[in-house]
Amino acid sequence: MAEPEPLIGIDLGTTNSIVATIQDGQPVVIKNRTGQALTPSVVAMAKNGKRLVGGIAKRQAITNPQETVYASKRLIGRKYSSHEVQDALRALPYEVVAGQHDDLRICMGGKELSVPEVSAMILQELKADAEAHFGRPVTKAVITVPAYFNDAQRQATKDAGRIAGLDVLRIINEPTAAALAYGFGRTVNGRVAVLDLGGGTFDVSVLEISQGVFDVVGTGGDTFLGGEDWDNRVIEWLVFGFAKEHGIDLRKDRMALQRLKDAAEKAKVELSSVREAALNLPFICTPPGGGAALHLQATLGRDKLDDLTSDLAERVVGITTEVLGEAGVRASELKEVILVGGMSRMPKIVEAVRGYFRREPCKGVHPDEVVALGAAIQAHALVQPEHELLLLDVTPQSLGVAIAGGSVRRLIPKNTTVPTSATEVFATSKDFQRVVKIMVLQGEHDVAHQNELLGEFVLTGLREAPRGQAEIDVTFDINAEGIVSVHAKDRETGLRQSITVTASSGLTEEELLRIMDEQREYLLAARASDELKSRRVELDSLARDVVDALTRARLLPGGGGLAPDVMPRAEQVLEHARAVRAGEDVAALGRASELLAASLAQLKGAAGSGPGR
Amino acid sequence: MSSQRANQLIEAGLWLRLSGDAQGARRLFERALELDPANTRAREYLAAAEGAPSRGAATPFERPPDLEPSPGRLAPASNQDLPVAPALEGDWGAWAEGQGGPREPGGQAPSGPMVLEEGAPADVLELLARDVVSDVEAPVFATSGDTDEYGVPEGNTQEFGLPAAESELDLLLRGAEDLLELDDHSGAVDLLFKAKELAPADGRVEALRVRSERMLMMRLESRLGDLGRVPGVRLPPDDIIWLNLDHRAGFVLAQIDGLVSYEDLFSLSGMTRLDTARILVQLLDEGVISTD
Repeated sequence: MAEPEPLIGIDLGTTNSIVATIQDGQPVVIKNRTGQALTPSVVAMAKNGKRLVGGIAKRQAITNPQETVYASKRLIGRKYSSHEVQDALRALPYEVVAGQHDDLRICMGGKELSVPEVSAMILQELKADAEAHFGRPVTKAVITVPAYFNDAQRQATKDAGRIAGLDVLRIINEPTAAALAYGFGRTVNGRVAVLDLGGGTFDVSVLEISQGVFDVVGTGGDTFLGGEDWDNRVIEWLVFGFAKEHGIDLRKDRMALQRLKDAAEKAKVELSSVREAALNLPFICTPPGGGAALHLQATLGRDKLDDLTSDLAERVVGITTEVLGEAGVRASELKEVILVGGMSRMPKIVEAVRGYFRREPCKGVHPDEVVALGAAIQAHALVQPEHELLLLDVTPQSLGVAIAGGSVRRLIPKNTTVPTSATEVFATSKDFQRVVKIMVLQGEHDVAHQNELLGEFVLTGLREAPRGQAEIDVTFDINAEGIVSVHAKDRETGLRQSITVTASSGLTEEELLRIMDEQREYLLAARASDELKSRRVELDSLARDVVDALTRARLLPGGGGLAPDVMPRAEQVLEHARAVRAGEDVAALGRASELLAASLAQLKGAAGSGPGR
Repeated sequence: MSSQRANQLIEAGLWLRLSGDAQGARRLFERALELDPANTRAREYLAAAEGAPSRGAATPFERPPDLEPSPGRLAPASNQDLPVAPALEGDWGAWAEGQGGPREPGGQAPSGPMVLEEGAPADVLELLARDVVSDVEAPVFATSGDTDEYGVPEGNTQEFGLPAAESELDLLLRGAEDLLELDDHSGAVDLLFKAKELAPADGRVEALRVRSERMLMMRLESRLGDLGRVPGVRLPPDDIIWLNLDHRAGFVLAQIDGLVSYEDLFSLSGMTRLDTARILVQLLDEGVISTD
């Protein structure tokens, strides 16, 4: 029997992403091809037109800001006009334009890309890492999203998976995945808080766990508080120190700033395990008046870092208090507190959380990996139904229909486990009404238009009757995949009308298919261009050797005893190689290289004395 | 007029010398002296150049105080595409400062933190541009057929005695041809870059520039070898700070962590491919990095 297909869980983060799997019954993180567990969620088009993903894209983010897309998660599945997008755009250096349906398009490398396309590039990278790990294709994945993501954002994430060539088995909530990774589905019944302090966002969620069902009872946070804020404090400290000493503002030089950022992040990470970190940035800048380039050398202690960022730690506690308050949960009634995200490695943060909850938070060795591990556990559970742990999905937001007066009648409250179904009877609101319009809404607001409109349809042919007399059954069905279908039935005539709501990510099916095609082409082209490159290198080096040998032969009296046609022929071959080099025909390049090699052998062979280079 | 021209040639010569091409510079100094035999600067520089024919030599070129330009006048700063300091040797790295040699006052300094402001032409270029006669149509310059990419070009350039009516552009083109003939692609690229500033639309400049850049790039790349290889830093940090590097080389060096390949470094550097290749080859030649 063939080995079962590998399954992966993906934490597609704002700043970093991770892929994990189950190996020998244990969830493990799959390291990327550079040996790192975390892959920065950054995509870029380098100046040479090459697409960069992950660590390498991040490292050129500051020197190539317009062509580097990061934090695309802030934009996915959102409307261009939404205030979240407008807020995010103020902070993003890359260009974003409105699409045709109020969706958004990111400009990169002279193309307008949908947000799922950009996220797909990251997923593709993770998929490739997983394939390198398994040595065979990987297609099935569970992807996590923040608990507050609505259907459109979840659908867009799913679309991203499809574009990347992944069959997304399930989209699950990040705090749920974290709780799963700690095995809470089996061991805990009650409320737990999940504090996720990542690179760019801070999410607080309160989960109610009972018999393996994870309900999100409260969620909140600050979408603009994360590890980068800590990095920036370190950068400021370095910049001011340098300015004091040399009178130069390093922030004005992008190269210097990029190095400062890399070094600040590194020092911050180091300080979670050691008490002192050295920052060495030789040749950071050349003074304006000329002279030798200056070095930046500094030592940052843990106490100093805590000092520089004490207000940020306070904000973490403040936001947590707020979210718990809104959810009506007292810190003392929590069964567990889970710390998630790389920043929760920082001793000061652990200390602040411990102080607030008056208990030791659950914090693994790698708090940034638990979400991906949870996703892997879920992926595994989904394909092994006999497995005792089966996470039930819940609806993230309430579903209902718009009713007369512009308000909402909720049929399925949020956090209902799926699959589920609900029916309610509605009546006409006007005398002799023959037509009724069913508007399917998602959201928690009582006013209809403040909610997300998932779809609408019309039921016609109602019996003419005074208002309130014609009755219509409206049924909501949500299957295990989270697909919502709504039926309306005229009780009297039995006439039916229905709609299946597939949340839209802003991409139509045709667009999606086209993008998937393009991706396939890109992958093929990328492979071909790698080969082209190496062939050219080979050709260049051979050409150089031939020129050298030719020059040497010319200097020797009588051509060093070469046959009369060898030199002209070598020149011809060189000319041919030059012509071929300009083209993109890999096979022709290979043939030209062979010809050069043959010429070289002739030149060297006959010259005899030539020891070569 | 001729003394002004002579001064311009000197500036251009200094420029060339800064980018590591002493021979090309000497030629320009000689030309300047021809135009203006009384020019002391030309005489001094020429004497110095002849006294120290090797590139990157430590001979200081002290400027007569009365002719001292305002600080930064020569600085090819504010433009990433310009090589910013003379090379140690060879025609690869035309950017690093001469080892141990005193710096030209107000001369080669890449002005540090402002490098990314693109577009501002270096002062020397403005100086040259002031006197550009727009007779770019002048003597047709054969750009193809007379040199071989791989072989020794059969150029028809003349060493001395340029006709007085020749424009700066022609001078630069001729200089570039000369340098190409001498296999100094680095110097040729520099001169052509300047020529391009003078006459951005001139097809001859562009053709020659593209050709010499391609040639130079090819050489640099073949020096680096397989671009998929991953270089590592050979020197300990304590030794690195004693090197004579500028901030751009410092940046490239900081990116070399034993994980990224040469090809990745081209993407990471934020500089042109040519500049990055020059820096990498320089670091390789000086033994700072290696792929072993």
